[in-house]
Amino acid sequence: MTGRLDMSLANDVQEVARVIDSLEEFGAAHGIPAEQCLRFGLALDELITNIISYGLAGRSDGIIVLAIEQRDGILHAELGDNGPAFDPLAAETTPPAGDIESREVGGLGLTLVKSFMDRLDYRRVDGFNRLTMEMKVKAA
Amino acid sequence: MTSLNHETVNGALVLKPSRRIDSSSAKAFEDDASALLDKGPKKVVIDATDLDYISSAGLRVILTTAKKAKTAGGGLTIACAKNNVKEVLAVSGFDNIFGLHDSVAQAISSLA
Repeated sequence: MTGRLDMSLANDVQEVARVIDSLEEFGAAHGIPAEQCLRFGLALDELITNIISYGLAGRSDGIIVLAIEQRDGILHAELGDNGPAFDPLAAETTPPAGDIESREVGGLGLTLVKSFMDRLDYRRVDGFNRLTMEMKVKAA
Repeated sequence: MTSLNHETVNGALVLKPSRRIDSSSAKAFEDDASALLDKGPKKVVIDATDLDYISSAGLRVILTTAKKAKTAGGGLTIACAKNNVKEVLAVSGFDNIFGLHDSVAQAISSLA
């Protein structure tokens, strides 16, 4: 079974809720277990939040496009933005450490993305960051 | 006025977020939790029974809330987390920092 969802996102963190809602609907329509949709949604949440909070911060000409597809039991997403070139996969992710006093959450989002996705790939194409991600869908 | 479900049990503030704490809802959670803590309780339990999802933005606001509770002389812990939420807490190491409990009652006694 195949299916595709295309979205164009505003440069606003409130869009994250719309992405996860749309992904839940997409998952329900394509028989993807809700828990796995939410794992995929979490990775998208972290990456989109990074784009909006850093790459496109303060930009009125920001463009964010998202395409999600299910093919052969794999959920694919391609996330594009016209922010400065930034490869999130090359960014340092330090193992979480420290007690409640010293603990920071910076970098944790990317740790979650890397931990939950089966494949990630970054390219810079025609002034756009293009991040491809894949997650195998397991039967419920 | 807060939209965050909450109750006070044996002097502990029990916060019951529903559905998701994602990047778009984390700020509201933080503001509501902070306003409720200002009323005096020092112990906080996050009852995650109805929580399907938490992102790093959600972890950040739980950490902020925990620091506030600790500064006041209390603490924060988590009860009834579902698998998705448990997994995020485990990857981040937050399960060890806050502790996970199977019931709200256990969580409250752990803060005593």
